[in-house]
Amino acid sequence: MGRKLLLEKAHVEGIRSFEVYRREGGYRSVEKALKTMSPEEIVEEVKKSGLRGRGGAGFPAGMKWSFIAKPEGVPRHLVCNADESEPGTFKDRYLMEFIPHLLIEGLIVSSFALGSNATYIYIRGEYAWIPDILEQAIAEAKANGFLGKNILGTGFDCEIYVQRGAGAYICGEETALIESLEGKRGNPRIKPPFPAIKGVWGRPTVVNNVETLASVVPIINEGGEEYAKIGVGKSTGTKLISACGNINKPGVFEIDMTISVEEFIYSDEYCGGIANGKRLKACIPGGSSVPILPANLLLKTAKGETRYMNYESLSDGGFATGSMMGSGGFIVLDEDQCVVRNTYSLARFYRHESCGQCSPCREGTGWMEKLLYRLEKGEGKSSDIDLLWDIQRKIEGNTICPLGDAAAWPVAAAIRHFRDEFEWHVSHAAEAQTRNFGLAHYADPIHVPA
Amino acid sequence: MVQFSEAQMAKVNEIIARYPEGKQKSALLPLLHLAQDSFGGWLSAETMDYVAELLQITPIEVYEVATFYSMYNTKPVGKYLFEVCQTGPCMLNGSDNIIDYIGKTLGIKPGETTTDGLFTLKTVECLGACGYAPMMQLGKHYREHLTKEKVDAIIAECRSAAAANN
Repeated sequence: MGRKLLLEKAHVEGIRSFEVYRREGGYRSVEKALKTMSPEEIVEEVKKSGLRGRGGAGFPAGMKWSFIAKPEGVPRHLVCNADESEPGTFKDRYLMEFIPHLLIEGLIVSSFALGSNATYIYIRGEYAWIPDILEQAIAEAKANGFLGKNILGTGFDCEIYVQRGAGAYICGEETALIESLEGKRGNPRIKPPFPAIKGVWGRPTVVNNVETLASVVPIINEGGEEYAKIGVGKSTGTKLISACGNINKPGVFEIDMTISVEEFIYSDEYCGGIANGKRLKACIPGGSSVPILPANLLLKTAKGETRYMNYESLSDGGFATGSMMGSGGFIVLDEDQCVVRNTYSLARFYRHESCGQCSPCREGTGWMEKLLYRLEKGEGKSSDIDLLWDIQRKIEGNTICPLGDAAAWPVAAAIRHFRDEFEWHVSHAAEAQTRNFGLAHYADPIHVPA
Repeated sequence: MVQFSEAQMAKVNEIIARYPEGKQKSALLPLLHLAQDSFGGWLSAETMDYVAELLQITPIEVYEVATFYSMYNTKPVGKYLFEVCQTGPCMLNGSDNIIDYIGKTLGIKPGETTTDGLFTLKTVECLGACGYAPMMQLGKHYREHLTKEKVDAIIAECRSAAAANN
């Protein structure tokens, strides 16, 4: 069993309260950072840790921090991205709900490192009960001198505010989030300027995911080098994976990134195998935007090597035969699932969530949804498959923000790996309404029950 | 007439104070949530104009935001709003059947409200409860691992709560 850095104490009774959290060693990193380290030293530790953004892009967090502009007399802000909306992803919710002080602790240290005296948590509006939990934790931290004016007598002032969104996937994109925080529609901004130069209210801003900011706590406590020893290669530390779909034990798991995908799916410590004794057909390993992989390419790379649950291994083979770690939203499809239907459902999601600013995304997502609906209902033509391929290619890379790519990739990967199934929906239109395509040639090569 | 109470105005001022001087527009999303919760579960033109006035911004700045975000209702909804997730992971776990079942039980389609004004059924996209699918949002909280039996129990719970309030 791997080490747990974030969720180790999540099930200690009463851990939501400051008293218990503190007794279990909480807020040590604030004392260490504010009293013995300079902001530059903290940024250096985070760089050494190799921590990569946990929201989906995987960009090195320390490097992102080092980009923040420091013009004289202009306030800077840290914004915590708690807009978790990528289908398949529910890890930040778990962290905030069960161990809220860990996030607050990480936010205080990170605010000090970045010089943010007013830090905002932007949380998706649907998580309507979580702001109460966070605000309670903030009030307790403040009452104990860890927030507010002159924290621990160091002269550093910091307030943390929680702002609820109101239902918009796009607000997980950092510039859309900033727009929303300013009270506007979540339309992403054209970059540059990047938020590190001009963010919220035109001020230098860093936007980081919940898990990223919580991970700063063990990095400061143990040191960046120690943190970097956990994991493998450029996948350092631990990662929260939210697993769902047709598995026996859906939930949130903290893994060190050395375990194999096979172990993650079949071990009782994690997903506990495919539900109802069925076989594995496919998996979307990093949230709905990343390429879906058939079982054979999921468990082993195209070279026949074991695939592991880390950034490099999951993307081994590029988009031709690999996928991505993404946000850690691990969606498993069993042998009875229909890839066309699943792709249609995701296409509908992206059409609904497109902000409408860029025509390739606004028009393309709706067009793809309609074609997929037609194919799924047995009314498609074989030319629709090529048309879908063509549309997704014309969306990818042609939009202001990555939502366009996120909408294109699932369609591209589904056609790339499951074209037979799409064609079968055309050639066997009536039959496709009554049964699913099954496993065919991409059957799970390892775990075929006797 | 649409008007926040004194206690609500204290909350409004506390929210506005979170943002820098002159950036009170940032309080728009939180204020719309507060207004929707306070004035019948939806945002009428009158409510939106009132929020615009409070924040000293133009009404169009409120309308464009209210219509962009899916949680703001710009039309009246039932006392109990069932927001059922239909995205990928929920679909894999049978959300379509749950949506059908709720619709048949209440005699409405997604987007409609029962004639007694008690229930509105709405399909929504991923709410971040994929491991606990199928699910729906009811008020502030999630109802997860939905089955037909659970749906029946939730509907009964709402009906008896409504009867108790009358």
